[in-house]
Amino acid sequence: MRKKLNAAKCRPLLVSVLAILFGFVAGSLLLLASGADPLECYLYLFQGGVSTTTRIFNTLANAIPLIFTGLSITFAYKTGLFNIGATGQMMIAGLASVVTALSLNAPRAVLLPAVVLAGLLAGALWGGFQGFLRSRFNVNEVVSGIMMNWIAHWTVYYIVSDFFRSATMVTESRTIPDAASLRAAWLCGLTGSSSFNYGFFLALAAVAAVHFILRYTVTGYHMKAVGFSPEAAEYGGIHIKKNTIQAMAIAGALAGLAGVSYYCGYSASIRIGVQPSQGFDGIAVALLGNLSPAGVVFAAVFFAVLQTGKGYMNAMVHVAPEIADTILAIIIYFAAISKLVDLYFNRIAVWLRSRKRRTNAGKGAGQE
Amino acid sequence: MKMKKWLSLLLAGCMLAVCLTGCAKETPPENPGPQGESDTPAVSLKVGLCCGTSSIDDKSFIQSAWEGLQKAEVDLGVEIGYLQSSDDSTTATLEAIADLVDAGYQMIVMPGFSFQQAAYDAQSLYPDVMFVTIDTAPWNSGDDSYTIADNTVAVDYDAEQGGFLAGFGSAIELKEGEFGGLFGVETDHTKLFITGFKQGVIYANENYDTNIRLNADNFVWSGTYSDAALGQQIAAQMYENGINLIYAAAGSTSLGAFNEAKSRAENGEKVWVVGCDSDQYEDGLLSDGKSSVTMTTTMKQVGNSAYFVIEEYLKGQYPGGQYLVLNVSTGALSCPAVNPNFSSETQSLVDEMTQKIANGDYVVSKDMVDVSAWN
Repeated sequence: MRKKLNAAKCRPLLVSVLAILFGFVAGSLLLLASGADPLECYLYLFQGGVSTTTRIFNTLANAIPLIFTGLSITFAYKTGLFNIGATGQMMIAGLASVVTALSLNAPRAVLLPAVVLAGLLAGALWGGFQGFLRSRFNVNEVVSGIMMNWIAHWTVYYIVSDFFRSATMVTESRTIPDAASLRAAWLCGLTGSSSFNYGFFLALAAVAAVHFILRYTVTGYHMKAVGFSPEAAEYGGIHIKKNTIQAMAIAGALAGLAGVSYYCGYSASIRIGVQPSQGFDGIAVALLGNLSPAGVVFAAVFFAVLQTGKGYMNAMVHVAPEIADTILAIIIYFAAISKLVDLYFNRIAVWLRSRKRRTNAGKGAGQE
Repeated sequence: MKMKKWLSLLLAGCMLAVCLTGCAKETPPENPGPQGESDTPAVSLKVGLCCGTSSIDDKSFIQSAWEGLQKAEVDLGVEIGYLQSSDDSTTATLEAIADLVDAGYQMIVMPGFSFQQAAYDAQSLYPDVMFVTIDTAPWNSGDDSYTIADNTVAVDYDAEQGGFLAGFGSAIELKEGEFGGLFGVETDHTKLFITGFKQGVIYANENYDTNIRLNADNFVWSGTYSDAALGQQIAAQMYENGINLIYAAAGSTSLGAFNEAKSRAENGEKVWVVGCDSDQYEDGLLSDGKSSVTMTTTMKQVGNSAYFVIEEYLKGQYPGGQYLVLNVSTGALSCPAVNPNFSSETQSLVDEMTQKIANGDYVVSKDMVDVSAWN
């Protein structure tokens, strides 16, 4: 009995590993078709991601926003919601934190927490509003999420270009002071002047927090219950509307932290007219991480390795830059249909078992 | 039993992985991009193009730069490559530069104002690497200053002269009507195109009896260089409001304007587009393959500028630390040599005007112009 349980636990891992493997196999075919040597390419891809201290920590730095958005989507999913609005939550949070960083004149010990908090709250409000629309007016959070991504896009555009525009770089805000950045000189020195920053520790803390909320708190239990079956949860006396708003607010806060770590850690200003890719990438990270907080960390780091390594690969061998993205896309595809793969495995398992039973029965018959 | 199967599957996977990595390690450490492949004279210079998020086939700015590098590959025998970054932030750009430097590139071309901070950081991070910034110069946000180190060349343009020629030529050709404009993100560089274009139209109105109306409201910032759908939407609205020609200088967003103009032209409407950076005549071709909605293009020879710097380096005259301003007189800005939609009279007038500007007989102002008199 115990063994069986373990096997079931291994399966999601296997599915994710297979998704990655399939992705690389399909990528190899693409690379072969474009006349490149796949092994050489993959070697450079991983060298680019992990070959030096700087590259390793750049990879980890690239993983930070992905961990947050992956967590955000995971959390929403666990409560029966699909948070496609992480992009907008990131942007609004980024705007709030950059504005705080540029307007508040305070020492680092005050400024940095204020910047983080501003982003967290902005994200929570933006996400919570989507939850409110869902619970009050029954507006699907996917629709409102996509629409509010664009509202965030243009809000950032107008606020930044009217009030916080850089003197020379008209497409972005002024650069935030070093005191407001998640980066620290000592971290930079320690990691070979990479872009690694405090955000990583914040991300790990968030992973632990999400795990704790979902696993050990009543609120988490309520939210999960709503996710499993709203009707049953309501019948059990759980307030669905309140839980929906709460869940979206927490998901928004997580995406908000992604925004903070991206705009005030990875970058040092907010750009107008572009949406961060991490919002949608978070969906893939969540799926590849099998919608578990710990899984998200590994999936995000893996994505970041490819993200960081693909530049080096493209610089070393002349293949289309889209190839690395295509490999990522294929992996996402396989991760997304992991449920199907799961089903397929079940079928095979059932078939094997029945065949064994039949042969056993046959043997038995022969012996008689 | 079941557990064993899983284990064996996992083990098989691991073995496969080990095989793969094992193979990868066994491959002899090849030098990337063997130089013996090309039959051009081998020169040991690797020039990399840093594209930002744009691609080398954006039919505009970056493509023009890449074509310059390709020309250098053929003519001068340098090795070339390009690299896109995951986003336009300074951090991502610096990562891309690190990739290029680690891959052995000695000269890195950075076209676009969005690279100014990255260029500033990179020129001191990699003092042995040459950087060529186009349309911008290395800028430090810390003290808001431009510094061009000895390993960097900054190239800039008098873009208003190019805008002027396109506006002038289009006005002479059409004589009557109303012009509008579609642009990307509001920058000082793009503003130069716009003011030049307007001045060109006004100059034609004042001196050549044309009657082209201009309304400041019809010169629109789309806010993006990569949204063709938005470009098409804006263009559709403009044509609907009776505008005959749109000056589209918005990267890939412009392609939307071309699409809209083409579909209207197919239905017999008389609408036109003026392109930017690379000659966009082909982008305006109708389905008959003969006529195009592209009146002309403001050619900004980004590629030639990169080519020029590479050539100077090979001559041993790398203009490190210099700020080069290129214009019509250096051939960096022009209308295409052939404009099938210009009559021969228009073409000769444009050529004449080009000469005038090149000689300094006519000066196009960099200041914004008021067009309220030409509504």
